[in-house]
Amino acid sequence: MDIKEYLEKINAECQHIFAKTIVDYTESLGKSHHLSACIFEYSEFLFDENEKELLTTVSAQIESSTLNATLGLYRQAFSSLRLAFEMALGCVSFSVNKLEHYEWLKAKADIKWAKLIDKDNGVLSVRFANAFFQDLSPHISEFNERASKVYRSLSEFVHGNNETWTKSGIQLKFNKDLADHYFEQLFEIGEIILFSLSCRYLNSIAKNDRETMEFLSTQFSHIEPIRVLFGGPKE
Amino acid sequence: MSSFYLRTESIKQEDILNLSVLNQNDNDIISALISPEPCLLEGSRGTGKSFLMKVSELKIENENKNCTAVFVSFNISSLINTTDTLQFYHWMLAKSLKALLNTLRKKGLVVSTHSASLLSNDESQNDNEVEKDLKDIVKAFEKSYKGDSKINLDNLPDIEDVKDAIEHICRDNNLERIYFFFDEAAHVFRPEQQRQFFSLYKDLRSPYITCNAAIYPGVTYFGDSFEPIHDCIFKKLDRNIKDSDYIDYFKSIVFNQAEEGIKDAIKNNMSLFLTLAYSCGGNPRILLKTIQDLNKFNLQSVNQLIKEFYREQIWSEHTELGEKYKGHKVLIDWGRDFLENVVIPTIEKYNSSRKEKDTKESSIYFWIHKDSPETVKESLRLLTYTGIIRKVDSSVRATRAELGSRFEVKYGCIIALQSNPAGESKNFFNSLTLKKFPEFGKNHPSYGSISQLTDTVEDEATFKQSLESMLQKPISVLQLLTNWQKEKLNKTGIYTLEDLHANTETDLIEKIYNVGPVRARLIKNAANAELLEYLSG
Repeated sequence: MDIKEYLEKINAECQHIFAKTIVDYTESLGKSHHLSACIFEYSEFLFDENEKELLTTVSAQIESSTLNATLGLYRQAFSSLRLAFEMALGCVSFSVNKLEHYEWLKAKADIKWAKLIDKDNGVLSVRFANAFFQDLSPHISEFNERASKVYRSLSEFVHGNNETWTKSGIQLKFNKDLADHYFEQLFEIGEIILFSLSCRYLNSIAKNDRETMEFLSTQFSHIEPIRVLFGGPKE
Repeated sequence: MSSFYLRTESIKQEDILNLSVLNQNDNDIISALISPEPCLLEGSRGTGKSFLMKVSELKIENENKNCTAVFVSFNISSLINTTDTLQFYHWMLAKSLKALLNTLRKKGLVVSTHSASLLSNDESQNDNEVEKDLKDIVKAFEKSYKGDSKINLDNLPDIEDVKDAIEHICRDNNLERIYFFFDEAAHVFRPEQQRQFFSLYKDLRSPYITCNAAIYPGVTYFGDSFEPIHDCIFKKLDRNIKDSDYIDYFKSIVFNQAEEGIKDAIKNNMSLFLTLAYSCGGNPRILLKTIQDLNKFNLQSVNQLIKEFYREQIWSEHTELGEKYKGHKVLIDWGRDFLENVVIPTIEKYNSSRKEKDTKESSIYFWIHKDSPETVKESLRLLTYTGIIRKVDSSVRATRAELGSRFEVKYGCIIALQSNPAGESKNFFNSLTLKKFPEFGKNHPSYGSISQLTDTVEDEATFKQSLESMLQKPISVLQLLTNWQKEKLNKTGIYTLEDLHANTETDLIEKIYNVGPVRARLIKNAANAELLEYLSG
């Protein structure tokens, strides 16, 4: 077996997993695509071109994570998903830290998770919510905790914790547990990203434009301040 | 005390089924909502219409993979103020179609062509499917009402194009049917917009589409083209406190959300829970809110809360209605006064005299003569919006075999008048009988201030303006009148609704031979019923 043949065999196995995944997970795949499309649509309402571009990349990054997952490349999928998550919250952070944003654009600085998630000064802190969407501050701690939890879980696959190797194995094969886990994590980060974006931007988007963001009012109708902002009923 | 979900909107989709408690009537309603026939669900505020629609939506999603359910909430938007009815119609259509596209995308049946794609642009633009048609239709509508530029209305897609696009989507994806669930529609819109909504509701009829909507009693205006009895299944959502499963049902609703501490408190003080459950008159939101607002689950707190809530707070929602339906403000305020100052004290007097006689009979009911002025009937209809009163039945015989309608006042509003409501409730409830009710005849003195339609008008100019097109209509449109009556009216020079409006009952009796007080009232009521609907625009 030469290298060409070897890779063809791997590819055939990937295609086998792919064929099974797209049939078994049609709805989850639809929902994943919907979430990444929502993030893209959100980007169209941002003023800053660099922020817009970053968010577009996040959307594409989520699509490519999912492609990895459908091919059975679960570790790569989780890793890519974590990157998308960091970049999305990074975008929100950069929107209020322009110096850091420009340094990052010039590859002079990194996105630091610990800073993003900081309970006092991060993008999911009461201080942040108070500045941009005060009514959401009672919801902040819940989202901060959820963000930390999902990030930790995704990181296990990035850092290669021993347990994750037993879960994913080295060989390429369809793994239901990991596929289920992947979609759960994706839905979770999707919701947290849309929430963080709303906390930062929603109040500054013109009313007429905001009204066309149906995807958001549906996603967050259970969060009263967002529902009310969209003209929905109060509690 | 602990906090409950008071609105369906606050509950995440995945938690709905865990919280649901369904009785036979609820299940009948759900069956109607998931049937191919369009269905309207009528219920007062907080009775659980949205909840049942959500349960039905999930049922379709989970059990019928060949169908798709689309939930549309018409929120208050800047366009709600438009007077251009066509623009408004397009706005509703665009909103509904966008919700449909989002649902199809979530299900994986449509792929977003605008989003960041891993495919090169060339490939994504080759997407020449019908879904694209629907997206283009939405775009065209959005442009038309955003007023970006002058749009030639002739070039806009019409309702048939929309139905064709939906039919193609169904065929391509092996979908049998798309269900639309419209929530809050009739609540958010002004009367004229409600009429537009119901014409859209009717226009969307197709073998591939089923429309369901939640509506409120008393404040829903269907317009001429829509007849709820013929054009859909009409279901009512109300619960009778006398039903045998009433307490179990409400206990399950509370227990599904309550913390252990409250559950224990309720189990240990069941009689207090019974009082609260009967007081809400079948309204889950009010029950949950009153339990939530209690300081402690004891006799003193329950008594204090019942008095505060059912004597005062419950009225604010009704009075606020006057802000929205300005043309009806006088009728809305009159209804409150009539209930608070006449009906409830009369029932209270009725009950205390029976208590003195120890007859073991009590009532929360009253009866209104069928020929009472139309304004009085309209005013009572408006009271059903909040559910302070509920129409029990009509054509009920009372004293001297006269016919009329029977209403129930919310239990809490009557028991709240006692000094110890929770203490009195058990005996009061057990002696409750639908056969006992004070009666209000067709010319009750308290009707005096609104017996003429003109009495209900605060501003004559606005009245004329909002009713202009109605007033010009010939009296032949009044279906409640016989041809004989119409001929007689014409002979006396009464041709239009405006002419009829200008004549009082006494005028009619004087002018037309063979018309006495009964017929005069009937004729006036027919005209007023038509005009009252249009009072608020």
